[in-house]
Amino acid sequence: MSVIELISELIFMPLIAFVVGLMMVLMMRKISARLQRRIGPPFFQPIYDIVKLYGKDTQISHGLIHDIGIVMAVGGYIGAELLLPVPGMEGIADKGGIITLSYFLMIPSLGLALGVGQCANPNGSIGISRALTAMLAYDIPFIIVVFGAAWHYESTSLVGMIEYQQAHSWGIVEMPFLAIAGLFALQGMLGKQPFEIYIAPAEIATGPMVEMSGKYMGGLFVMQTFQLYTAGVLYASLFLGGGESWLSLLPKAFLVVAIPMSIAFMFPRYKTEDLIRILWKWPVMLALIGLAFIL
Amino acid sequence: MKKELKIKETQTKQKEQKRTNPLAHVFDDFIDFCQSKSLFMLHYCTGCGAIELPPAMTSRFDMERLGVQPMVTPRQADILLVTGYVSVKTLKRVILTYEQMQSPKYVIGICSCTVNGGMYWQSYATAKKLNEYMPVDVYIAGCMPRPEAVLEGLHRLKHNIKNDRKEQKGSAWKDYYQNYDYYLGNQQNLFGDEWQTPVDVIAEAKLYGLESDGTYGENTKKLEKVQQPLLEQEMKIRMKP
Repeated sequence: MSVIELISELIFMPLIAFVVGLMMVLMMRKISARLQRRIGPPFFQPIYDIVKLYGKDTQISHGLIHDIGIVMAVGGYIGAELLLPVPGMEGIADKGGIITLSYFLMIPSLGLALGVGQCANPNGSIGISRALTAMLAYDIPFIIVVFGAAWHYESTSLVGMIEYQQAHSWGIVEMPFLAIAGLFALQGMLGKQPFEIYIAPAEIATGPMVEMSGKYMGGLFVMQTFQLYTAGVLYASLFLGGGESWLSLLPKAFLVVAIPMSIAFMFPRYKTEDLIRILWKWPVMLALIGLAFIL
Repeated sequence: MKKELKIKETQTKQKEQKRTNPLAHVFDDFIDFCQSKSLFMLHYCTGCGAIELPPAMTSRFDMERLGVQPMVTPRQADILLVTGYVSVKTLKRVILTYEQMQSPKYVIGICSCTVNGGMYWQSYATAKKLNEYMPVDVYIAGCMPRPEAVLEGLHRLKHNIKNDRKEQKGSAWKDYYQNYDYYLGNQQNLFGDEWQTPVDVIAEAKLYGLESDGTYGENTKKLEKVQQPLLEQEMKIRMKP
């Protein structure tokens, strides 16, 4: 691979992720609107929101760490996009593999924790402590799932995993228990009901986002687009055979993201300790059973 | 610090004069357009008007198709909706909330009570006209206005946001900085001369180059006498015995 090719891939992979992520945000808002029998936002609404937030006339910064925290939150996901192979572009995926990727997925939460810490808003502190606790809860099943997948495909490289699935059969057929546990972890990772205690708009005023105004909030909106894209494409590469082309990858990724949103409104919210209890009990149990079948 | 600010102001003034290129405002127009399409709303539900908002937001009238979303903190919000009468005690909170919002920010007064006191005209504890204490963009009269009227008011606000700069009308939120003395005077009449908010509006006006002759006056001098600088709060952890 030539240097120019690599650089162009490093530029285009996050860009495509951003555009697809915008569509995913729109889809989520449309699904929630349809479930509530509303029409929902217009097509370009996610772009309007982001441009407006960056175009605010006054911005409140609470200090240097507040600024850096947001950069870490967005940057962590941009780093993750480069390690996530997509049709036609591999970026630096063969250098990193899924273990590096799972480390990158933790950086945004930590960056957010740094940023929110300097805001000194009690709601924010409560929110971020809950968010980090939730991360502890959903990362255990997630890591077991990743370990199981890597063991089964005999590779820690996502490229290798996708090649294996395209040669044999999809991961969801060969290890259904791990796939279900992965969906559980995904629900927690995206912070959808019943695992959205750290956002809780009515109680702690959106928790970590409480002091974010203007471009800081805009940064978080951008982060959300990357988050949805990463979750969808990662799950599709692990269990749904990745994609030979964009036409086969994108429907899978959109479907994966649509599942948590469609079932979110059936649930109320779990308390933090119940959230840990349920995530360390059921998905972990399912994942361990799945692991027992593979080993 | 003061010198730097002055330099900044003169630079911005020169920039505005220099702009003769017809394409100079394309980016501003785009931002105005996006601002009118995406409005985050913080509703301060003080009176009976709040009951008209749930139908306006949910499936019957669906505000989200206009790009209006409810938000829960003043930092994230663009619109402050004051729905109903404002008692003197409530008004303090409304002003605190308003000053924490980030510009450009808009205020909508719903119900007759915010226009002229409504049925609380003779009440000793109610602030009569909301626009004496903060600049109001749109009033929606009625006791109470139906959701259609609320949506009509939002449409009016969106139209204003899109066209105010083109028609050189000046935005209402700038008026709070430019005529701060007037608003502060009215606030002091109600709350007493020792009234002070955590947000230093004069310093903000200086920083963003929005100060004018109306920013300073007798009332701001009164404020300077009583104003205490905001100090960092001591970190304390209270342990139960």
